[in-house]
Amino acid sequence: MGWSGASLTVAGCGFTSIESGVETVESYVQPQDFVVPGIGIYYATTCTQCGGGCGMHGRVREGRVLKMEGNPETPNRGRLCGLGQALVQHHYNPDRLKEPLLRQGGTLQPTTWNNAMALLAEKTKNAGDKFALLTGPLSGHLKVLAQNYVESLGSRNHFIYDPLATKVNRSVSERMYGVAMPCYHIDQAQLVVSFGADFLDTWVSPVHFSSQYADFRKANDSKARGVLVQIEPKMTVTGANADRWIPVRPGTEGALALGLANALLQDPAYAKNVPASVAASVRGYDKTHVGQITGINSEVFDRLLALLRERTPSLVLSGPSAEGHVHGAQNAAAIMLLNFVLGNVGKTITAPARVPFPQMAPADGDTVALNAFNDGLMHGRFETVFMHDVNPVYTAPAFLQLKDNLKKAGFKVLFTHYRDETAEESDLVLPLDSALEDWGTHIAAYQPEGVTITLQQPLMERLYPDGTRSFGGLLLELLKQHRPEEYKQWPDYYSYLQSALTKNKSAFKDPAADDGLFWYQTLSHGVLNVAAPQEQHLSATPGIVNVNLPAASAVDQEFPFQLVPSVRSGFRDGRHANLPWMQETADTMTTIVWDSWVEIHPKTAERLGIREGDILEIASKTGSVKTQAYLFPGLDPDTVAVPLGQGHEAMGRYAKGVGVNPFKLLAPSFENATGELAYYATRVKISKTGDRVTVVKDEGWRPGVLSTQQGRKIVATMAADKVKLFREE
Amino acid sequence: MNDFNKDKEKDIRDDIAWAQINKDVLQSIEKPRAAFWYLFAFAGALFAIGVGCETYQYLRGMGVSNLNTPQVWGLYIASFIFWIGMSHSGTLLSAILHIIHADWRKPIYRFAEAMTTFSLMTAGLFVLVHLGRLWEVYYALPYPNERWAWPNFQSPLNWDATAVFTYLTSSMLFLYVGAIPDFAICRDNARGWRKQFYTVLALGWMGTDRQWRNFRVSYMTIACFLIPLAVSVHSIVASDFAMSQQPGYHVTSLPPYFVAGALYSGCAAIITLFIVLRHTFRFEEYMTFPILDKIARLTFAIAMVWTYLNFIEYASVWYGDDDYAKQVLIQKATGPYAPFWWAMNFLGSVLPFTLLSKKIRSNLTAMMIISLLLNLGMWLERWMIVTPTLSHDYYPWMLDHDQWPSFVQWGIVLGSFGWFGLLFMLFCKLVPSVSMYEVKEMVYHRTLSHRHGHAAHAREA
Amino acid sequence: MSITYMLRDWTHYRSTHPSADINKDHPEGYKWAMAIDLDACTGCNACVVACYAENNLPVVGKEKFAHGFAMHWMRIERYWNDEDIETPQHGAQFMPMLCQQCEAAPCETVCPVGATNHTPDGLNSQVYNRCIGSRYCSVNCPYKVRYFNFYNYPEQEHAWPDPLPMQLNPDLTVRTKGVMEKCTFCVQRLYEAKSKARTDGRLVKDGEVTTACAQSCPTGAITFGNLLDPYSKVAKMWRQQRMDLYKDVQDKDRDGNPENIRGYRVLEELRAYPSIIYLERVRDAQA
Repeated sequence: MGWSGASLTVAGCGFTSIESGVETVESYVQPQDFVVPGIGIYYATTCTQCGGGCGMHGRVREGRVLKMEGNPETPNRGRLCGLGQALVQHHYNPDRLKEPLLRQGGTLQPTTWNNAMALLAEKTKNAGDKFALLTGPLSGHLKVLAQNYVESLGSRNHFIYDPLATKVNRSVSERMYGVAMPCYHIDQAQLVVSFGADFLDTWVSPVHFSSQYADFRKANDSKARGVLVQIEPKMTVTGANADRWIPVRPGTEGALALGLANALLQDPAYAKNVPASVAASVRGYDKTHVGQITGINSEVFDRLLALLRERTPSLVLSGPSAEGHVHGAQNAAAIMLLNFVLGNVGKTITAPARVPFPQMAPADGDTVALNAFNDGLMHGRFETVFMHDVNPVYTAPAFLQLKDNLKKAGFKVLFTHYRDETAEESDLVLPLDSALEDWGTHIAAYQPEGVTITLQQPLMERLYPDGTRSFGGLLLELLKQHRPEEYKQWPDYYSYLQSALTKNKSAFKDPAADDGLFWYQTLSHGVLNVAAPQEQHLSATPGIVNVNLPAASAVDQEFPFQLVPSVRSGFRDGRHANLPWMQETADTMTTIVWDSWVEIHPKTAERLGIREGDILEIASKTGSVKTQAYLFPGLDPDTVAVPLGQGHEAMGRYAKGVGVNPFKLLAPSFENATGELAYYATRVKISKTGDRVTVVKDEGWRPGVLSTQQGRKIVATMAADKVKLFREE
Repeated sequence: MNDFNKDKEKDIRDDIAWAQINKDVLQSIEKPRAAFWYLFAFAGALFAIGVGCETYQYLRGMGVSNLNTPQVWGLYIASFIFWIGMSHSGTLLSAILHIIHADWRKPIYRFAEAMTTFSLMTAGLFVLVHLGRLWEVYYALPYPNERWAWPNFQSPLNWDATAVFTYLTSSMLFLYVGAIPDFAICRDNARGWRKQFYTVLALGWMGTDRQWRNFRVSYMTIACFLIPLAVSVHSIVASDFAMSQQPGYHVTSLPPYFVAGALYSGCAAIITLFIVLRHTFRFEEYMTFPILDKIARLTFAIAMVWTYLNFIEYASVWYGDDDYAKQVLIQKATGPYAPFWWAMNFLGSVLPFTLLSKKIRSNLTAMMIISLLLNLGMWLERWMIVTPTLSHDYYPWMLDHDQWPSFVQWGIVLGSFGWFGLLFMLFCKLVPSVSMYEVKEMVYHRTLSHRHGHAAHAREA
Repeated sequence: MSITYMLRDWTHYRSTHPSADINKDHPEGYKWAMAIDLDACTGCNACVVACYAENNLPVVGKEKFAHGFAMHWMRIERYWNDEDIETPQHGAQFMPMLCQQCEAAPCETVCPVGATNHTPDGLNSQVYNRCIGSRYCSVNCPYKVRYFNFYNYPEQEHAWPDPLPMQLNPDLTVRTKGVMEKCTFCVQRLYEAKSKARTDGRLVKDGEVTTACAQSCPTGAITFGNLLDPYSKVAKMWRQQRMDLYKDVQDKDRDGNPENIRGYRVLEELRAYPSIIYLERVRDAQA
């Protein structure tokens, strides 16, 4: 694409600026010699919008970043999702914090960084276990510094919290396959059966999987077009692309998996893939029994079975809708068991390479951390609390009463970009550099090809040079407060990163002999590939051979529906609600904008006398929300779905007051094996409030009319067996 | 009872003095009834509303009208067509009926012709109002510019500009030329500033034989020129739709259909204004019931022509192969605009049958109401051409994006009636709205025929 | 005001019906075209956001969106299948719809001032400063992919509160009220690429330039390129799919498509000759 790849630090970084200290973000008076006005320069960095860790190129013109593209050298293969594109709106957001805020007399007042740093030093003196740090998932050098800092204070309270954690999946994978996050080779599978894993939109590494999906769908002389089957209670984007979408009663995915295993294991060809005890343990799951439990009729079951038998190699994925139950781990185990039965292990599921730097290896979060954090707060164990990359006041379910418990901590510090709900409860709010102004190293949780460390570098001068600071830089400063000798050699985060990576350059593929050249090339490519990463192997036999699914419990008639708190790629856990492009872009499945909604199956709506646009109250035992009804056929009829991510009470003009927050509704259900919050285990009841609105959406506005092509050939569909194949060129 | 009937059949007296005619008409200019001032004020108020709404729209953007994607055309275009349609009244009465020597048109054609001119001016307003950047409307004209850019001559909107402009200038010419002898009469009877005003307008008319002869020839020439022009203007306006490929627009019969509808609404408007002027300017002697009767019957005839063309449109769609057009027709009858569509069909095709009743034709109140309703039907017809297609065209994703026009659109539509009313009332106050010399001609022809009739009688007797 | 120029421009920019000779219609050697694989499109909307970022599209907000003033040049439509609408067992149908850059564009002929024309490199151009906002082009567009600026978004509607204007792409204007806009195949990128290639004395090579949507698409569903370049990916796809730019009924369709080739154009029978072919979505019959 014609980018001049040179990315010498000066032009964009926040530390060694050309006119030190007097920067405003305008065209340079003395630009670098490769800066030509009117020609964009592309710098490499890493996207921080989700855990996928895609590499990006940012187009910079006259000293300001305009647009993001994908980095062709990272697993996203030069592609980028909409959320990644919207990173520029995070950077230029009009509601970004520009100065530190200190709570004085009940309200947050502006203060100085000097004051703030002094306070931080004071409040952490001799803290020990009275100090707690709550962060999001961490990897790379930020993780090193964070963990070192907590250790330097003598505290053991580092809670790593991810509201959308895939902890159950990781935990069961570890037991079943031997690794927490195996590599899934969708492009090599002929059949993918996904139990709610929305890998095209929100699961693990969507852009990378999408790119694999493109190959999966292509046919050539050596392979047929791949078939996708999606089994879930609510249709996700991946489900919308499935050849067969199967609605399933929430929580019964495990039973279906065991039923399929049972049927397959009748055949000795499959039985030899697993220990005999497996066949014995699944014997009770015959087709009729499974049909009763799951609501899936025998024709659907048979078709799925036929596919599994004929399309090999296949790949079976376990997703959040199966795992988010009290018996979620059992569901996941049952599903993963199928991969062993089908002989997929080692073919379409392989082990990733081992990350050689354990200190930098990704620490994925979970919700157990939130629980533990909340517990500590509740018992008044924490005097000083630091929070970064989390918004627990917003994402914590109401039953945890986290907002009240937070008040019990003496001094709460939030390192953030926006004045969100947690900021409103904090004592000191410290504004951070945006992702496009900061340095960093990232090791994504999902490593499909070897082990890569992606670089994050500033794409322009800070927008608020006196106001915001780098979190890594702050950690370094904080560490210097307690361990000055160890850290004084690095004046800033940039020098820390540069020296750390350059010193270890031999760990990476083909490092340049000259250190300066190595660093230049690293920043230019934006990615470091670990040389000779250590291979791992998946276990040949399943770690769990006996899956014990609980019997179906009696349905609480007072709460007749199951709630699916669905994840939207543009919002995720709600942190992106203040990006106007995300609010304005129509939701893929419903085309609704700028609001929340509750999806109801049209038959259910008809039964209850609900029309589209009616404001309904969705109430669980522990909370309720009121939002507009939307008729959506992609649902199990006894399920309703409310999207996560809206309903902010703070966080700027684009997020505040928009929609509702179903996090609050979640039931106090915890997954048995891991202790994770069981998101999909909440039962709700629906009541009409009597109000009605017109649903704001991109499709036609006649309420309750499901958009079809009206018999006109807009999207044409062809059967796969008829399609003429073209050899891939 | 007999007297009553005789009253209704009373036509202009045969023995009315020329001076009386002059006096009556000149009085109308100087001393109309109080109703004139009320109407003027009312028109002014409506116009003010229109101006306010347009100012708001000009400053804020077209969005305040509740037009949207895909409903980019709404009441503005509908009203534009409506006003162009109204303009055919004058042409029909002045030009067509003149050529076939229908004498009964003589007392009423002047104000009908004025209607034409002012309708066109009102239609021109809508061209401006509906543009997103109306301050650049001159781009549509071929003026010398540094980019050497010509307007697009393939575009029907461009043809509109030419056609309407031509028609407007021709109508104004026709109106003016036809009024020269009357201006002379006014000049001879006026005092003060009016005398100067009419002197200029009368162009030195002395009523000589030569002048009369030239006058007759030019008047007839313009009349002959104007008739095809009228047909072409509305056909061109119809081609805004007919030249498009959208279902519901792309109908070959649209040009004649529009012309028929135009004549229809023009006639109905003549009836309305007939009744208004008759009262306001004390024209009971001239705007008589027999004339009203004839116009009503003419309206009925045109209504049937329009009904026929309307029916053809439905039939050709219904029995045709174009599924999209059929969907649009069904949408018109059953969709969100169904009440308006059915009202249009009723008012346009069923209501005219009331005009067959002599009793109704002689009842001023009934005729006033009916003529207004007929015009409402015609206005609805324009709206029902524009909007349902945009509501239900080729692309399924863009169906059901309907919005009710906002107060801005209604305000400007009302304002257009105000503008028309203002212009018309002003005209009636400055220019004789009954053609004095033509009425004299009509009376003369009547006396001639009576004398011949008596002579014939006498011979037989 | 030269008549000669008017006549010359007339043939250049205003042909209503394309000739059968693609080279004659595009003397510069470029005919930009696209191929969108509906089996690869997942409906994720990445292309939509990329387009907003690249082309300075205003975010209109909830109220205006509710009135139908959305300005997404590219939209992802989601349809359900009539047959299994109660339980959509074969998923949903996604359609990325953008300006089809028709060779015989219905919008080009009807603009009263000539603000939309056909360029020699095969694009349907929209000249913002000539547009007087009559909106006839949008009426005539069968795909309804033209978007009118019903409000003054940059100045009056505050679509870009500070510091968001810094994100705006300086290579193209930010439109004011009263002006029609639509997808331009990222003409600002094409212009830069052509200019650079011209300096090198050659044509733009395949892959050297692409549109924002095609660049961002995670599955690579969108292929963009020069149809006149026989080695370009898009030309190969058009050839494979036996699509002829200048036919309103493709030969394969006339024969009932016996080989089941996936390529088609939307509303082809209207003879707009769109420059975008779509490859039919595929569903496995056994599934």
